[in-house]
Amino acid sequence: MTLTPQRSAGPHSAQSGTSPGGSPVPPQGSFPGARKAPTKVGAQPWLMALAVALAVAGAALSLNGVLRGWAWYSPVLSTVLTVALTMAGLRALRWRSAFVTAGALAALVLILTFTFFRASSILGFLPSGDTLTQLDRYVLRASETVLAESAPVAPNAGIVLLVCAALGLLVILVDALAFPLALPATSGLGILAILIVPAMIKPQSVGAAGFVAATAGYLLILGCSHWFAPDPRTGADTARNPGQFRRGALTGAVALTLTLLVQLVIPGFDQGTFPQGSRLNPFGTASGLNPMISLGNSLRAPTGDGRITFATNAPSTPYLRSVTVDSFNGDNWAPDDRNDTRRLGTGRMDSGYESAATEVRVVTAVNTGQFTSPYLPVPYAPEAVNGLNGRWSWDPATLSIKGVDTNSRDQQYVVLSASPQLTPELLAGATGPVQGVPEQFIRTPANVPEIVQRTAEAVTAGSSTPYARALAIQRYLRSVEFSYSLQSPVQGGYDGNGLSVLADFLNQKSGYCIHFASAMAVMARLEGIPSRIAVGYAPGRATGATVSIGGQGALPEYEVDARDAHAWPELYFQGLGWVPFEPTPSRGVVPSYATDAQVAGGASTNENNDGLLPSVSPNPAPLPTAAPLPLPGADATADAASRWLPVLYSAGGLLLLGLLLASPQLARTALRRRRLNGARGDSAAALQAWAELRDLAMDYGVAPRTSETPRHFSDRLRLSGALGEPHGIDAAGHQAVRALTADFEQRQYGRPSSGGDGAGVPGSADRAAGSAAAAGSAGSPAAHRIEAVRSTLRAHAGPLVRFRAAWLPPSIMAAWRRAAAAPFRAARRAAQRTRRGLAGTWLMTRGAAHRVRRGSWLRRG
Amino acid sequence: MDYHRTSLDEALPEGQSLREGSAVAGLPGTRRAAQPPAAMDAESFSSASERILTAINTVIDGKAEAAKLALTVLLAQGHLLLEDVPGVGKTLLAKTLARTIDCSVSRIQFTPDLLPSDVTGVSIYNQASRSFEFRPGAVFANIVIGDEINRASAKTQSALLECMEEHQVTVDGKSYKLDEPFMVVATQNPIEMEGTYPLPEAQRDRFMARISMGYPDKDAEMEMLETHQATSPLTKVTAVVTAGEVASMIATVRQVYVSQSIKEYTVSLGRATRESGMLRLGASPRSMLQLLRAAKATAALEGRDYVLPDDVVSVAEAVLAHRIILDRKAASTGETAQSVIRAVLAKIPVSPDMAAAPATSAGHAAGGGVSTRAATLPDRR
Repeated sequence: MTLTPQRSAGPHSAQSGTSPGGSPVPPQGSFPGARKAPTKVGAQPWLMALAVALAVAGAALSLNGVLRGWAWYSPVLSTVLTVALTMAGLRALRWRSAFVTAGALAALVLILTFTFFRASSILGFLPSGDTLTQLDRYVLRASETVLAESAPVAPNAGIVLLVCAALGLLVILVDALAFPLALPATSGLGILAILIVPAMIKPQSVGAAGFVAATAGYLLILGCSHWFAPDPRTGADTARNPGQFRRGALTGAVALTLTLLVQLVIPGFDQGTFPQGSRLNPFGTASGLNPMISLGNSLRAPTGDGRITFATNAPSTPYLRSVTVDSFNGDNWAPDDRNDTRRLGTGRMDSGYESAATEVRVVTAVNTGQFTSPYLPVPYAPEAVNGLNGRWSWDPATLSIKGVDTNSRDQQYVVLSASPQLTPELLAGATGPVQGVPEQFIRTPANVPEIVQRTAEAVTAGSSTPYARALAIQRYLRSVEFSYSLQSPVQGGYDGNGLSVLADFLNQKSGYCIHFASAMAVMARLEGIPSRIAVGYAPGRATGATVSIGGQGALPEYEVDARDAHAWPELYFQGLGWVPFEPTPSRGVVPSYATDAQVAGGASTNENNDGLLPSVSPNPAPLPTAAPLPLPGADATADAASRWLPVLYSAGGLLLLGLLLASPQLARTALRRRRLNGARGDSAAALQAWAELRDLAMDYGVAPRTSETPRHFSDRLRLSGALGEPHGIDAAGHQAVRALTADFEQRQYGRPSSGGDGAGVPGSADRAAGSAAAAGSAGSPAAHRIEAVRSTLRAHAGPLVRFRAAWLPPSIMAAWRRAAAAPFRAARRAAQRTRRGLAGTWLMTRGAAHRVRRGSWLRRG
Repeated sequence: MDYHRTSLDEALPEGQSLREGSAVAGLPGTRRAAQPPAAMDAESFSSASERILTAINTVIDGKAEAAKLALTVLLAQGHLLLEDVPGVGKTLLAKTLARTIDCSVSRIQFTPDLLPSDVTGVSIYNQASRSFEFRPGAVFANIVIGDEINRASAKTQSALLECMEEHQVTVDGKSYKLDEPFMVVATQNPIEMEGTYPLPEAQRDRFMARISMGYPDKDAEMEMLETHQATSPLTKVTAVVTAGEVASMIATVRQVYVSQSIKEYTVSLGRATRESGMLRLGASPRSMLQLLRAAKATAALEGRDYVLPDDVVSVAEAVLAHRIILDRKAASTGETAQSVIRAVLAKIPVSPDMAAAPATSAGHAAGGGVSTRAATLPDRR
């Protein structure tokens, strides 16, 4: 009778083999389900947690190379282990799956807080308001790192936090797939998600260590789920399936052979793109989308990509300007394209203002080569560009030239530009009120950090004219306090742009052109000078060659490449127009009009201007250099709250949504639990179990019909294939269904004084099973039977059906539909009654009226 | 030729004949009061039924269903109408059933000139005793086989039918009780209707069940040709149970428990036939009673002491189909009585009546509630 596969290893089977009283177990008791309702969880959660942690942390090994060095690995490891062990512990305490997941999420939050926000948290691990503020900044850094930097990135706190959080969530996901959802094979997807990152980013792809560790973890997950909850379809450890190992080995060998052979056949698979040497950037080539962001990368690029050559007749080598950034709001400054005000055609462009200075016409011939960007690098201020391919448009406000349907790659063109001959005198005289400048160049950004404000005030104190103020700012930025560094913003976590970055920069006093240019531009605005940041190229190097342009003779050729990428501020002076400044030390050339009067030698080049500034005695402004970041400030918290409120709301919304999505499952589980626990030992247990069996069958696609007898339904269920073959390993499920049916029939149709065999007709198998089951119902075999049926149904259902049964159980959905329709039904019935009542009343009234009329008529007669 | 008080020698096992004395001596009340048949225990019941069915199945190949239904009708104290084309074993089934039981059997071959008195019996003036003596007719037997019942005149038919319903014979104002068990197995040929008197509805209603034998399948037919060539299979059949045992079995069947929900199901089934748009005449209340009795017998044969809806369903077609009359429109669309019964069965909720169970949940109660609500059929007013 015992068709249950007897497993050799297992305290579980031993435990379920005998009932607590030591009495022999009735045959109906030995379902696999009995084994699955463990009285003791044993080592399973711990081993499973170990497997998941091994898989995830092992896969994370491959992130070395995406993140530089190994410093990031210890927080990752601690996060993964904490989450995994928390889940194991909760499971060992026999918490329900949903709570285990919730507990793991909580543990993730706590360990992340402990690792990254210890200072700002309560007791070192409870997140506080300050934590949120800090989190915001970290996330910002991380997003900038992701967008702006190329692998390997320096492991700043933001990106490591992100990695830890992602891996922690993956632990939960992998565990959820492997354990409560019982789809252990699918958990490989989560691990694959980790491996994809290095595969796409690192030139050497995943790497052996990460791959081996991830595979080992995955195999361990599969093993765990198989050892502890064997799939009834594969009787691996029974004698019935001896060829399994051979088949497994064969399948593996075939797969391996195909893997090795097929890649040889696919052209280009082993060279170039994926997976070897691929440096796919999922965000597209960054060269043109947001020059602010790509600039740092360009500067740090070891080799100069995007070489541009140009020849010009300008007296000094011009800056090539691509685009301007003028909106200093938000976290990521980007060029405002203003596509609707752009004008087509570059034959004649107009800056829109008259410069009081004498202008020199400059002719520049540019060859962009491989440089790819939607914006065209031209010297300021362009009046006409000839020789371009494709359609180009220009922005009257900024004179940036942008391709409509083309880009700058392989363009050769000649730019005619007007270069005003500015002098300090002219600039000093430009004190008139600013007119005719679009508002976006004047607007003071909101939420300017206090340190920027203070610095601007302190630096410009005592300067009367706009020119003097601009010079003061430039002088301050070029002072010895500041150093030019491509790396320190990365290490300090403020590589990028935005006002908060600016605050960090003014604190750290180290950065590169972006930081200097934006500092000057923002401070100039604060001081009432219209400003914008120009992005382009600093003057490059002479190639030694000459290019002859028609009518100009041979002109010296220059070259610039990614390493010359540069940003500088442009300030507007009434009557003179936009005037570039150079606040970045050791980069570019300080224009003659922008050098301090006492400094001799106007031009400073890359090579020699390091020594330029030290002689400048910086205005000893009483700068609060140690001004703390405005983090703990109350206003900052409020600011963070306002920023996080939507996040919190949407998180709450997501939680609600998740709850909503999970509610059918929760309702179904609760209903099952109530049915199986509520009526334990009661004679009603059979009815409850039967109701559960019907719903269960409905969930798995064998819906009971109302016109169907219990036995017919039971037979249909067993013959439907949903329970597999009636013999062999699925016999337990079939037997459980038969026993449940017999119980129910006995209870529903049998004599009320159940069990009286006196006048009865015992002897048949059904009856015997029924009475035996009824006798044993005290131990709630119904629950075991239901569990056996459920596991058999699950084992034979396809993934879609299984998913539906778990998440959208048709039985619950039907009940809800009925409940939802009930008010309408009631309304319809009420309407019918009302109509009938009204009709009756009307008839009565009419009859009465008739009678009255007849009566009166009769009386009259 | 006209009428056979059939060669009982052929029909009965040796040693048995119409025991006139005993049969007639069973005058009102005496016999039954003397020994009320006691209910059997389950083992003997199932072994007895097993023996009967095995015996029948050795004779008639591949007709286990018909045999079981015949036994069911016997145990439910009903009468059986076998309706089919000639030569499929109607009479053989009836005879075999009769022979497996150690009881009196008579066979009446119905013909148009058969008289009621031939069936019921007649009072004859006895010269010797100078008094009228009742000579019992063919109906005085435990099992009466009425061959081609539709060939007899309506008068003769109704004489038989009275006996069937009342289990007694009334001649010259005197009633004579019939022996228990008493069962009429009538056969009828639905094809050759010329010169026949088809049973009116009221009389068909007296039969508990009508079954069609149907042709045997190929293997069974081959087997039949193989084994039945030389000898009549009937000769091999011997009685396997006694009449007393059968009476006990009937008593056992009577004690089978019928739960409230089964009664409700049966009633809703009957109401559904009466309210069906496809029927001119639905099932009578008597038919409901007989349906339940047949279901009880089925349950007992299945080895249960309570009736399941399955029992009702399994006999519903045989019990109900011959009592209902199709609407002309339904008949013209190719519906048959059987198909209508099946449609009704597919429509009526079995009423699991889950709402009665305590501690039910909302959804659960809703499900049960719906089915109970649906069980009360919509009022068609």
